[in-house]
Amino acid sequence: MVEAVMEKAEFEPTIVAFCCNWCAYAGADLAGTSRFEYPTNVRIIRVMCTGRIDPTIILSAFRSGADGVLIAGCHPGDCHYVKGNYAMERRFNFLKDILNHLGIEPERLVLEWVSAGEGGKFAALIRNVTRQIKDLGPNPLKETMIEKE
Amino acid sequence: MSEPKKRKKLSKRTDAAIEALKTQRLRWVMGISQVGVKIDEERYHAVVDNIMKDEIERQMIIGAIKEKGPMTIKELSETTDIPPDRMLRHIIALRKTGTVSEVGEKEHGYLYAVL
Repeated sequence: MVEAVMEKAEFEPTIVAFCCNWCAYAGADLAGTSRFEYPTNVRIIRVMCTGRIDPTIILSAFRSGADGVLIAGCHPGDCHYVKGNYAMERRFNFLKDILNHLGIEPERLVLEWVSAGEGGKFAALIRNVTRQIKDLGPNPLKETMIEKE
Repeated sequence: MSEPKKRKKLSKRTDAAIEALKTQRLRWVMGISQVGVKIDEERYHAVVDNIMKDEIERQMIIGAIKEKGPMTIKELSETTDIPPDRMLRHIIALRKTGTVSEVGEKEHGYLYAVL
């Protein structure tokens, strides 16, 4: 009986979102205070700048079983630290290649620009990314965690 | 291959990729400065030297083909003074990027031309 219930349960992805302190995190804050609804699958990690996110951290998130990783930073030209988001964009393209090389769908990694005033955009982004990851299914690395346990 | 085996293999590859991202060579390519990590000057110069040597030799190959027309690996290595084993590596790399291609055969070898 339990198995039958579990089988029917819809796959709920875990998405790790790295949000920059100055734009995307403030956007997430605004989405909250504006009462915009978005799925609870996202786990937000605040970073000072997207340019500060080391690529190893993103791969480690996938290794630890994250179904998707979202990086949200300031719009091009709006970076608080002038060019941190450009540095992230460069690494993002590199990381997509690495994921492809490993055999993990590159679509699991998303980079988007969200300003502090775009609460609505942030909520819509989370909705879209969640739907996208749901369509992709669980992270192929996820099962290993269960096997380990 | 069974699913758990596939996953195990993927986990190992991912772990290797995480370690690879920590290496200086990949970090230079990605433009990541390492805070608190002293750059190994000797290694940096070795990598840059290698890249420069490769690029210069590849441009010499392209130049030689443009000047004298399609050539075999043996002829190219005689013209440019690049040893045949290195030449083969360069031709493979240039073929991958679509810079050169085989256009015919001569004396049991392929003739390469610049596209």
